[in-house]
Amino acid sequence: MSGRLRPLLAAVGVLVALCLLALLPGGQRQEFEVAREFELEPLVRLPSLGPVDLSINKAVIYLWLTAGVLVALSLAINRSLRMQPGRFQAAVEGLYELARDGIVGSAMKSGRATWFPYIASVFFFVLVSNLLGLLPLPFGEHWQPSYYAATANLYVTVTLALFTFVFTHYAGLRRNGLRYFVNWAPASAPPVLKQLIWAIHLVSEVFRLVSLSVRLFANMLAGHAILAVFFAMALIFQNYLVAAVLQGASVLIYLFEIFVAVIQAFIFAILSAVYIGGAMDQEH
Amino acid sequence: MNPEAAKLLGAGLAMGLGAIGPGVGLGIMIGQAFQGIARQPEMANDIRTNMFIGIGVTEAVALYAFVVALILIFVA
Repeated sequence: MSGRLRPLLAAVGVLVALCLLALLPGGQRQEFEVAREFELEPLVRLPSLGPVDLSINKAVIYLWLTAGVLVALSLAINRSLRMQPGRFQAAVEGLYELARDGIVGSAMKSGRATWFPYIASVFFFVLVSNLLGLLPLPFGEHWQPSYYAATANLYVTVTLALFTFVFTHYAGLRRNGLRYFVNWAPASAPPVLKQLIWAIHLVSEVFRLVSLSVRLFANMLAGHAILAVFFAMALIFQNYLVAAVLQGASVLIYLFEIFVAVIQAFIFAILSAVYIGGAMDQEH
Repeated sequence: MNPEAAKLLGAGLAMGLGAIGPGVGLGIMIGQAFQGIARQPEMANDIRTNMFIGIGVTEAVALYAFVVALILIFVA
């Protein structure tokens, strides 16, 4: 057999195998609701404190896990600091340098030392939370394994964005005093236009809060929803061909989700740095 | 039209139409960034950082469409 025919034969073989897979009988069709994956059932019921329900659901557990992983990582790296970094230390140093030079260093002109701790905390918190969301952990309904991420919850991301929102205006007011609000519109603009620009800037400040939180939330939710749909297709169609193709594709989606998790943490941190830096060094 | 069908149709249209603009925008932006990097490789780090900021801002538009689609399906 010539070498040229071999890939052709292999392709035909794969096609035949896929057709056979398609003909294999599947089991009973099962119902699957993607939305149920994101419902927050209380896992541990606790009494309410006035209007605040204190029950522990999986979002709370994922937040604790994120904090726990971060604390454990920092303690571990702090104990084993060496002049000659090992693999682990080199990786953490790389992330630290990314936060210091890549995010704070490139996005802020001044006040870098003041705001680096906040920006780096946000970066590592969102990063660890996003990456934890890619592990199946037993915090689903009835403690079944499920996917979730604390950052796939709008309340969590709005809280994170509110920190940035408050710190932005705090930093601007502390640096520029009440001139901070005047500087929202360029001083050289003609009178009516100036008020208009000021109003537009006011709206954009509010929408920064919305976009910062919804971006992270929707990215994580969309990734998890796509993964859930890909897994669920096999249950719904009960067909081995669909299952084989979609499971293969879901591996690619999963790899893409790792990329998205890192990029979203980076974007959240760098936009926070840009907003805070922009409030301190205003253009006049 | 059946309200349930209209809901699902609206969600699909919102996501599909909402992805056109950001898709074109991301393509233009990333293409231009790569062009910039090819012309000035020594600026690659700065360009890449700014490109990611731009990606985040542009992509948010598509995600608003995604959120609207979700609201149409599950909340409305």
